Amino acid sequence: MKNIFHKFGAATLLSCAFLFSGCEAEFEDEASFSKGELDLSKYVAVGNSLTAGYQDNGLYLEGQVFSYPNILANQFGFVGGGAFVQPLFTPEQRNGSGYLRLTGFTNPTAPATPSPILVPLPANDPNLAVRGLGADGRTPLLTRFSALDKIQNFGVPGIKLADIKQPGYGLNNPQGFNPFFERILPEGSTLTYLQRVSNQEQTFFSAWLGNNDVLGYATSGGFASETINPTNQITETGKFASYYEELINALTAKGAKGIVATIPDVRSVPFFTTVGPTAKPLLAGAIAAANAQGLPITGVSVLTKATASRINVTPASIKSASGGTILLTLTSSAYLSSVGQPTGRYWRELAKGRYPKDEDAAKRDQELKGYLQNFQLDTTRAFGLDPRNPIPSAFVLDDEEQALVATATTSFNNAIKAQAAAKKLALFDAFTFFNSIQSGFSMNGINYSPAFIIGNLFSLDGVHPTPRGYAIIANEMIKAINKQYASTIPTIDVTQFRAVLIP
Amino acid sequence: MKSKFLALLGSAMLTASVASAGGYQVNLQGQKQIGMGHVGTGLVLDQSSIFFNPGALAHLRQNGIQIGVSALSSKIAFRDASGGISEARTDNPMGTPFQVYASYGPTDSPWRFGIGVYTPYGSTVNWGNAWQGRFGLNELTLKAIYIQPTVSYRFSDKLGIGAGLVINTGSVNLQRSIPLTDANGQEGRIELDGKSKTSIGFNAGVYFQPTEKLSLGVTYRSKVDAKVEGGDVTYRIPTAGPVAAQFTATEFDATLPLPDNITLGIGFRPTENLTVGVDIQRVGWGAYKALQFDFNGKVGGQESSVAQRNYKDSYIYRVGAQYKVSEMLTVRAGGYYDKTPVRTGYLTPETPDADSRSVSAGFTLALSEKVDLDASFSYINKKERTDLADKSSGVAGTFKSVAYIPGVAVNYKF
Repeated sequence: MKNIFHKFGAATLLSCAFLFSGCEAEFEDEASFSKGELDLSKYVAVGNSLTAGYQDNGLYLEGQVFSYPNILANQFGFVGGGAFVQPLFTPEQRNGSGYLRLTGFTNPTAPATPSPILVPLPANDPNLAVRGLGADGRTPLLTRFSALDKIQNFGVPGIKLADIKQPGYGLNNPQGFNPFFERILPEGSTLTYLQRVSNQEQTFFSAWLGNNDVLGYATSGGFASETINPTNQITETGKFASYYEELINALTAKGAKGIVATIPDVRSVPFFTTVGPTAKPLLAGAIAAANAQGLPITGVSVLTKATASRINVTPASIKSASGGTILLTLTSSAYLSSVGQPTGRYWRELAKGRYPKDEDAAKRDQELKGYLQNFQLDTTRAFGLDPRNPIPSAFVLDDEEQALVATATTSFNNAIKAQAAAKKLALFDAFTFFNSIQSGFSMNGINYSPAFIIGNLFSLDGVHPTPRGYAIIANEMIKAINKQYASTIPTIDVTQFRAVLIP
Repeated sequence: MKSKFLALLGSAMLTASVASAGGYQVNLQGQKQIGMGHVGTGLVLDQSSIFFNPGALAHLRQNGIQIGVSALSSKIAFRDASGGISEARTDNPMGTPFQVYASYGPTDSPWRFGIGVYTPYGSTVNWGNAWQGRFGLNELTLKAIYIQPTVSYRFSDKLGIGAGLVINTGSVNLQRSIPLTDANGQEGRIELDGKSKTSIGFNAGVYFQPTEKLSLGVTYRSKVDAKVEGGDVTYRIPTAGPVAAQFTATEFDATLPLPDNITLGIGFRPTENLTVGVDIQRVGWGAYKALQFDFNGKVGGQESSVAQRNYKDSYIYRVGAQYKVSEMLTVRAGGYYDKTPVRTGYLTPETPDADSRSVSAGFTLALSEKVDLDASFSYINKKERTDLADKSSGVAGTFKSVAYIPGVAVNYKF
């Protein structure tokens, strides 16, 4: 009836003359959505921090609620999707593992410009879900989720594809473990991740795994080897391909359809692109000052990979809009202001992270001595300027390290795409998508770019998205699902999700 | 982490240029005419000829005053661009465009003097501050009031001319969200509020009645620029220093063209009691190229904002008739078709314009020798329109608008 009225204005005039306040503007067609070939009655999400809803360098309730799987499940609800249970922190422990907040900006004298002040929640925050340290003496234990058999979001921050067959990966033990996996396992369980996510009777799944198999290496500036930070090593390509196939086989064993996602180029996230442009003039100034005092250097001295080898990094070789290739991590920002001064702060903190407990002070000192010896350090020398006190490898992703990252990313993505094609799964090509937005885009009157804080896409850790970034990702996934399975699942209004909160 | 922060902060904040109204003409200038598709340029109906055709005013036998008002309820619906599910609807306050016309001249004189006060342009749209397009617009109120002293001269029973001086006054209030969320989750907001400076134009017309059964009229109303100088800019934004540094403006200047109109009207009287009117109106919307706001400081890091509008001239086709049932009752009906001036890619949420169809009806009750009561009802239905809005910094999606407009007027003749 409604449509007829619209086609005949006179009829509407008569019908509305008496009750005109009730006559709304109506569209000619009702919006209709369909699930196409899909059965969305039980959706299961498999993945890492991105799948868990990690943001601002932590996992907490808000991020969990706005995780892309939860957004997908919400939209599936318009076409017959079932309930979706996530291992949420309770409202009382809503701050979860803790996270970074933007509390303000520095107010330096010109020409220096304000920089954001990022502050973690204090360790005694009453709303954390931390229940103490694990058996390894350094991993914080998180409150276990109460309904383990109902979980549908298996996002585990930090997990690599290479970890999925590791027994005890979530077992509280002295060798170390993943606390986010530990909280979704029964106490004392040695189940592997692959075992945990198998046999979930899902009708649809998403799998976005593999990022950490290269990201960990990149964000640690290539500071990883068999003996140093071994978990941050890049996964061997053959292993990646076979594990990925095994994972997808498990998820599709009972005929479930699903979506898989590729790995973005980690070098383009704000974690790597923010500090370099400002560090360039800072380091150039320090080098000029050293030259004036008779020290004939052209760049700063930087450790490479997990070795004692130094490379010379000139300011011009650091990546910015004006050129250069070498990337500096977001975490380097707090240390680069000490260039030229005698400091061993980084190494002391590294040892403290390894042995945080007071009773382990002796072990900590031993650890620190090990660093000084292995990397041939003299922290009484001018930091960065004197080769005897070089900038740590963890702060710099140099050309050789980047080449390793790029090669691994390409081959991992080839393995992922091969599985998607073989199993006729939907594919969200995150690598292509994030490359396509490098120069920014505008939507609903908001500008987006990969820039830190102001780009609206990335949260305060410079790696993980904001809630709005996750919503944009969810919409891209919905488009990929619709394309593959002839469905018309609706996208979501991304403006309803926040970006970075500005004080 | 440091540099560029300031520069980039600004551009992220206020990307869509500050918005304006779209096809913001109001076709509600006389209750008799509203009842018959707003025709009137080729007719002599009452003192509202001051607006419709000053050249016809001197053909009125009696002096009189008319006071009328319409109650405009407009409703606009928005649906997300293809693939989305979110919808939004306006909650517009009722608009009350009004008309006051009075004319006087000695009984046997060929001169008539008149004054009209009416609202030819205006728009009130309220989308609220939660919808998808809120960074384009929350709420817009645009008002223009024309005051028009007029003189009309009748050469003969067949020919009259007239002209009036148009004095424009008005105001604009525009509110929208700023995509900056503070620590409490509250979004930023900006409000621009200003009164337009008095500006001048004219309205002139010729009325020609070659036979008892046929009359012709042509009217030209000049373009008037509604100019705001020193309008107020107020914000609600996060207090952090680098943000505040991007929002230093306190005043704005802007100019909105109120376009010219040329209207050709024809009246037929096939019988003594039946009058049929046809009008063709050209609106010079081509004058509306862009909306520019100039600030006395920064708004989102910019000292001015320009939003392309690139309107094209448009035509309105009107037809209507009135039938005198008795000495006491005259009934009317009519309609018009209004081609949109907004080109593809330029749709905005201020007035999500589309080709619009209107049907209307009305009547006049002669309560006494001296007092008439007019009533009208008009329904406007704009075509559903989907647009990417990629050239106007608008909001991509599908819009549909309808309006219901009852109105009344009292005429007192002396």
